[in-house]
Amino acid sequence: MNLSETAAYLTSSPFFGITLSILCYELGCAVNRRLKTPVANPLLIAVVLVILLLKALKIPYEGYNQGGAVISMLLAPATASLAVNIYSQLERLKQQLLPILAGAAAGTVASVGCIVLLCKAFGLDRTLTVSLVPKSVTTPIAMGISEQLDGVVPVTVAAVVVTGILGAAFAPVLIKVFRIKDPVAAGLGIGACSHALGTSKALEIGEIEGAMSGIAIGVVGLFTVILAPLFV
Amino acid sequence: MKTILQAAFVFLICLLGEGIVHLFSLSFPSSVVSMILLFFLLLFRWVRQEQIQGFVRFLQQNMALLFVPAGVAIMENYSYLKGNVLPFLLVCVISTIVTFAVTAYTVQFTAALQRRRTKPQTNQKEDGVQ
Repeated sequence: MNLSETAAYLTSSPFFGITLSILCYELGCAVNRRLKTPVANPLLIAVVLVILLLKALKIPYEGYNQGGAVISMLLAPATASLAVNIYSQLERLKQQLLPILAGAAAGTVASVGCIVLLCKAFGLDRTLTVSLVPKSVTTPIAMGISEQLDGVVPVTVAAVVVTGILGAAFAPVLIKVFRIKDPVAAGLGIGACSHALGTSKALEIGEIEGAMSGIAIGVVGLFTVILAPLFV
Repeated sequence: MKTILQAAFVFLICLLGEGIVHLFSLSFPSSVVSMILLFFLLLFRWVRQEQIQGFVRFLQQNMALLFVPAGVAIMENYSYLKGNVLPFLLVCVISTIVTFAVTAYTVQFTAALQRRRTKPQTNQKEDGVQ
């Protein structure tokens, strides 16, 4: 019986990554309920915990990702399922189609323009800039754009996740600070700046916000695909 | 529908989405294509909301959890960011705030314009009746 061999065997089982992710996330939720501050975001806590654990126990990322990949796979059906929320707001969508499209277009230009300008100001090179440009859209779209523009895809994914955590954690604060009264505007704003992760928060805030945030994922994603290559 | 069948249905939509992307070599991700596909299935009433509600709620209640592995992947790719962590974070924070504000204000502003433009029209209709 070889203990270290057994440990290596177990940590490369998909059940290890799945169990660890869920437990760390639930722990993050519990801490979030206790502390009641946006900084204690459940996802942020979960990611930090998993990384620290893997580092401390010298478990390779590849082992963890056997299970991680299974969880990531569910992102596609979760995104697709937002169609249900959008459909339930069909009337509002028809009435407000123009403001929704205008908001998504303006948001896309603001996001891409702002990132390009900031990267210039901070003296980041072109590779890093194009990796950051698609950071406000949902992971699969962002990866596609980054690849197309010769960016570094892992940097893009990191930026997408960081942006998503920011959006999810601070969405209620942003709505309050900018005094957004219209739930359609609030929802679209959340989805435009922080994709599916922000949408998870928007769904908690309200039905309209959740649906509009879901619409923003698709529309802003589409606009970014068209616009990003023109800016860089 | 049984929950396991709901799951199979949603997965099937995702598979169709991947098929469409592959077939037409779209540069658009399959998850969004699947979202549009499901939207039209609901619109044409080929499937009703209640029939898949259970699995949809399960996915959406755990949406943030689904990003944990993507977040952990940062650990593998930290070397790309070394030396640029602060500008990287600043770009993320500032652009997120700006994007939210611009989007939300544009929606509110356009909606207000739309209301103002439709108001005189309803007045005209009333005039016509008189």
